Amino acid sequence: MTISLNDSQLDALRELANIASAGAAGALSQMLAREVDISVPRAVACSIADAIDSCGDPEEEVTAVLIGVAGDFGGQVLLLVPPEQTFQICELLGVEAGTEVGESALREIGNILGTSYLNGLAAMTGLDLMPCPPLLQVDMVGALVASVMTEVAGDDDVALLLDSELTIAGEQCAIGFMLLPTSGGIEGLLTPLGLGPDVS
Amino acid sequence: MTHARIGEIVVSGNPDDELVALGLGSCIGVVMIDAQAHVAGLAHVMLPESGGERAAKGKFADTAVPELLAQMAAHGAVRGRLRVAITGGAAMFGSGGQLEIGARNEAAVRSALGAAGVRCDAAETGGTQGRTVRISVGHGAATVRIAGGYEVDLLPAAAGVAAGRAA
Repeated sequence: MTISLNDSQLDALRELANIASAGAAGALSQMLAREVDISVPRAVACSIADAIDSCGDPEEEVTAVLIGVAGDFGGQVLLLVPPEQTFQICELLGVEAGTEVGESALREIGNILGTSYLNGLAAMTGLDLMPCPPLLQVDMVGALVASVMTEVAGDDDVALLLDSELTIAGEQCAIGFMLLPTSGGIEGLLTPLGLGPDVS
Repeated sequence: MTHARIGEIVVSGNPDDELVALGLGSCIGVVMIDAQAHVAGLAHVMLPESGGERAAKGKFADTAVPELLAQMAAHGAVRGRLRVAITGGAAMFGSGGQLEIGARNEAAVRSALGAAGVRCDAAETGGTQGRTVRISVGHGAATVRIAGGYEVDLLPAAAGVAAGRAA
């Protein structure tokens, strides 16, 4: 199945991501007791190879937290944190990075961000979206993103990447936050907005 | 340096060239080398089955393997001299409850190699870590590296074969 998305559909998806990530930023802000800013989200519909390239040097090591979505929706939420920022976030939380406690704290951040993001999407679309328990892995960003993309969009020619960046005020610290929907998931997000895509 | 991005096949007869697939996760890198002809090829396979005629031959194990063999032959590689290795096929977030695409990719690549009558000489597959594979066309050798690790030999340069200009 291949979905072709026009500009107004991409705009609508970007707006969904914007509102949902604002909720996630609020949750992170409460957790860290710091102001958190969000970037203007990107909505990129492109080949899977281009989508992976857009995440930077594929060999760069990052901490990734993957949150599957159960319910009405096909897709996954992926958080990407570069190594030096993993240390900063753990420091803000008062835990040691690279330890089991540090990993568990990052997984919990993923859980909270993912849940508030999905709640935001659910409120706007009326979909029933339930986050699955978060999975954490430290590895090459290309390998991580490609593996998730293979699961959600492997058989499609076009992949959709909705991503935003959360920046913690006063720190050089950013968390990449992306939603990778299946083609059915894209349809599910757009149809309640009256913008259902053409599916061929 | 020539990149095989996800779903792509690259073949080179230039001894100065290096073929690379960065960050293989559940994908498989299929390496073929004819050291004597200074020809090497790399397929970055994403999924096991094409399920019929597809334009993107490099994406699926069952179409990528024959296509890589055909492109190797077109560059002057001789089937009987090929050395073949596979790497990748990891389960990046662990194997519980996921689709096991990595393991299915490896099985499909092995079965496509078998169907083509080609032996797999070396494999560095499975686990939960990403890998980068590099082939030096001139040396007729391939290495693999996991995140945070060193490059190790996947297919060492064959003894008795003169290295190309890159040597």
